[in-house]
Amino acid sequence: MKLVIDESRCKGCNLCVLVCPYSIFREGTQLNSRGIVTPVLDRPERCTNCRLQALYGRMLCGVCHMICPDQAISWVEEKPFEPHKVEVEF
Amino acid sequence: MIAPDWFREDRLPHIYCTGCGNGTIINCTLAAVEEMGWKREETVFVSGIGCSSRAPGYILTDSLHTTHGRALAFATGVKMARPDLHVVVFTGDGDLAAIGGNHFIHACRRNVDMTVVCMNNHIYGMTGGQGSPTTPPGAISSTTPYGATEPAFDLAELAVAAGANYVARWTSYHVKELTKAILTGMQTPGLAFIEARTQCPTNYGRHNKLRSVSAMIEHLRSHAILIQKHDRLVAEGKPVPEGSFTVGEFVRRNRPAMGVQR
Repeated sequence: MKLVIDESRCKGCNLCVLVCPYSIFREGTQLNSRGIVTPVLDRPERCTNCRLQALYGRMLCGVCHMICPDQAISWVEEKPFEPHKVEVEF
Repeated sequence: MIAPDWFREDRLPHIYCTGCGNGTIINCTLAAVEEMGWKREETVFVSGIGCSSRAPGYILTDSLHTTHGRALAFATGVKMARPDLHVVVFTGDGDLAAIGGNHFIHACRRNVDMTVVCMNNHIYGMTGGQGSPTTPPGAISSTTPYGATEPAFDLAELAVAAGANYVARWTSYHVKELTKAILTGMQTPGLAFIEARTQCPTNYGRHNKLRSVSAMIEHLRSHAILIQKHDRLVAEGKPVPEGSFTVGEFVRRNRPAMGVQR
């Protein structure tokens, strides 16, 4: 699973920056095509839900998903054979 | 996106301002509805007028967008005519406490079987930030430019006194607790009242030195104290922090309810 922000819905309130326990969301600096500064993802492969949702078969953490007032945060399945990074934190 | 089957995706992104907490409350309510396993054709969302009351417009079920303050009156009618439907009411504080105050206490007294989610943003957000009955004392709004002098309504305590079967209060910061409270409210027969304090950075925060969304959320988080802690502080005779409000489950009881199918 990978974490994505839907740029067409996000209004740039940065609530996800406030609540993420892994600090995956960072305040953005670039305006997007709608004139909104959306948050950027910092090594999203660290997200517990990305790594373990398939293993546990349920939503883990998911606070950003829940608090996002614009329903812009979601997890999508990777395409087959899509390269993805693995981040190991000690 | 929570509960994608329940959202009208063609209507999104919604009309709420940047950082408005109402979207979060919709997420929490729909997560609870999905957990209940209700069918879309058996669920009705009712709302009055205001920012919060636009919520059913983004939900893919039958809904009623009614006159100002009369959401509970319409919802009572729906429940009496079709007791097999599940009724959820979205209202705001101006809708529920100010103009619909009488409907609110009588719906609690009758204990009609429905779930009322009140998005309390301390202000009339949609019409330009006028003071509402829940504006905290000292808060500046466009009708109280020198600070509100009147004491505010405590909606949860009001619902407890009027006789609702389940009453809880959380904020839009406490998403997991709020979802659990709405779920418990839906499972409880009789009127379940859940007050969700939300942030309104545009019309409330801007005048009260809480201009950013994070400042407003931080204000809600730091001023919320659990009801158990509040009771303990009072019992020990210690001072309760200034400006704080209690959160948690206020009451869960089994008064005879109206409109429950037998």
